[in-house]
Amino acid sequence: MTPLPAGRLRRAVQAEWTKLRTVPSLPWLLAAAVGLTVLGSAGSLASVDTSQCPTPSECFEDTTKLSLSGVWLGQAAVVVLGVLAMGSEYGTGTIGPTLAATPSRRLVLLAKAVAVTAVALVAGVVGVLGSLAAGRAILPGNGFTSANGYEPLSLADGPTLRAAGGTVLYLVLVGLLSLGVATAVRGTAGAITGVLALLYAFPIVAQLVSDPRWQHRLERYGPMEAGLSVQHTMRLDELSIAPWPGLGVLATYAGFALVSGLTLFLLRDA
Amino acid sequence: MRRDGFGRLVLAEWTKLRTVPRWMTVLAGLVGVTALFALIDTSDQGGDVSEGESLQDADFTDDFHFVHQPLTGDGNIVARVVSQENSHEWAKAGLIVKERLEPGAPYAAVLVTPEHGVRMQWDFGEDVAGSENGEAPRWLRLTRSGDVVTGYESADGTDWQEVGEVDLEDLPSTVEVGLFVASPLAVEIERQYGNNSLSEIPTPGEAMFDNVRVALDRGSPAPGDGEWNDYDTSVEPDLGGSTESDGVFTVRGSGDIAENVRPFDDDLVERSLTGAGVGMLAVVALGALFITAEFKRGMIRTTFAACPGRGRVLAAKAIVLGGAAFSAGLAAAVASFLVSMRTLRTAERAPGTPELSLANPTVLRALVGTAVLFALVAVFSLAVATIVRHTAVAIPLVILPLLIPSIESGGLPLSVANWLVRLTPAAGLAVQQTITRYDTAIAPLVGLGVMAAYAAVALGVATLLLRRRDA
Repeated sequence: MTPLPAGRLRRAVQAEWTKLRTVPSLPWLLAAAVGLTVLGSAGSLASVDTSQCPTPSECFEDTTKLSLSGVWLGQAAVVVLGVLAMGSEYGTGTIGPTLAATPSRRLVLLAKAVAVTAVALVAGVVGVLGSLAAGRAILPGNGFTSANGYEPLSLADGPTLRAAGGTVLYLVLVGLLSLGVATAVRGTAGAITGVLALLYAFPIVAQLVSDPRWQHRLERYGPMEAGLSVQHTMRLDELSIAPWPGLGVLATYAGFALVSGLTLFLLRDA
Repeated sequence: MRRDGFGRLVLAEWTKLRTVPRWMTVLAGLVGVTALFALIDTSDQGGDVSEGESLQDADFTDDFHFVHQPLTGDGNIVARVVSQENSHEWAKAGLIVKERLEPGAPYAAVLVTPEHGVRMQWDFGEDVAGSENGEAPRWLRLTRSGDVVTGYESADGTDWQEVGEVDLEDLPSTVEVGLFVASPLAVEIERQYGNNSLSEIPTPGEAMFDNVRVALDRGSPAPGDGEWNDYDTSVEPDLGGSTESDGVFTVRGSGDIAENVRPFDDDLVERSLTGAGVGMLAVVALGALFITAEFKRGMIRTTFAACPGRGRVLAAKAIVLGGAAFSAGLAAAVASFLVSMRTLRTAERAPGTPELSLANPTVLRALVGTAVLFALVAVFSLAVATIVRHTAVAIPLVILPLLIPSIESGGLPLSVANWLVRLTPAAGLAVQQTITRYDTAIAPLVGLGVMAAYAAVALGVATLLLRRRDA
């Protein structure tokens, strides 16, 4: 492969950015990604309080993880966004003109990946900050106070910063995974269903499998379970997979999806 | 339009579904994928039953405190339950006839409960309800005549109503009669480390009795010495005991006389159908595409030109789609069940694991219910897609409420998780349950009803919008 000239990349990214920016549903999708994340987190936060524990100080609740739990919901909007970046071109047939304007398919996919990353980053940062703010507001009222051994959430705290930053990266990787799958299957419906199934099916099956070895494997290699291990700030030694390697598992899924998407993209007619 | 017009419409829609090779592949594929999940799910678990502490060999529990005396021949026992501690909604205080003092021996009992009124019970599981608001104080009477034991209740000790009658076959001449108190184990849920930890804890049952009388019918042999003795099988010995002063008995006991409920058991049928939750996603996509494909290609205008009745078009689509989803769902459910049961049969079985077959009505309900669920989910997805007119929006809108409650429930308090299940289309998955567990959120058919309500409302709104909007 020849290296891509910087000027062409910049123009391609600009073109893709314009396309994604002007998708009519983009404001809705961004609002859904942020809103679902923050609302999901707030809902989880509101339902947990120290009175459910033997004693308030024996909760051992991972308040950072609890505050970021809305990502379970918000990621669905990011999936739609990532899929639409490619899927809508096939749906409307604009893939023809796109490739006429930018004949290098590698460049098209790369530019789309950059655009999706940018949008997912914005949604992720806003959603995560909103969730942490919800955590700060709700947690003390439910008994998670300094008196009971729970310091207020703060990004100055190393593990919390890692969890927050990792969650933003998680959303970016989910967006890229969706883009890759959409490129490979060339259809919106199939790609969305496929990615949602990949993300959500693992934990459902893991929940019901009684064999601890299989449970461990499913948690270790499921894209969502492994990726979200980056949110843990307590008892890291008991995780099926450590935070960063867990995010690496998701990155591997995303990379594999992008590479197979690109391969098919290069080999097939548009 | 003629009567047979709708039949043609259905046929036309069926042709549309049938002739898209990708859709038929998806339907066939989901059957395979669902069965494959069943294979993974049940492989490799010979005898390895999780949370197996509550598994017992016996299929009954017989734990209570019994203040008894022998009764030879026909006779009766009367007492008034003065008061009962509300230690458990199913705590029991009352009179019992027991063949002999041994766990598992045949018995018949009439009893009061704090929240379920007066009951007559026998044979570890047989249960007849008396008056609903008959909590203590309440008069109870149990008569024995040959093999037949009859339970009565009364508010005042003079006006008696029969609660139930049972024929305890081959009852010996001398049986033990007396007062008993039991109070079942409670499931305690505590939260730690972001998870729910569960334990069964004994509850201390206590009740007071007075006006206790044992009387013999005429012609029966002379009574014994009338001495009361204690017999205790309470789950914790210090929770059982009795005292008597001036004819008032205070009896304490803990446990239950009932069939052995195992609140932590795995629901083997439900587990075998886990893959159906994944296969259902394909049905969601198909349901959405069945209408959005027409919107996208402008085909819908041709369809409406051929049949201007838009509600009828949607109805025909729903019937065809529902039928196809039902068939695929039934095939997937039966295949998963057979695959799972095959694996379970070869694995070392935990004691007390019931033999399950397709002929079992509960199993059949779960399997056919799964197929109905597939049809409802497909129609729901079709309706949502008709409303929002975008595949990309419709699919997550259906999938999220269907799947999130079952995933999120792990980290949420049980009561919240259960409400999440009851209020969302995920309630439909309850139709796969075949046993009642500590975390059962909703009864199987009620759950399916919730899903049906979602589908019906969405279909109604979709019809309305389809008529109003431009195609």
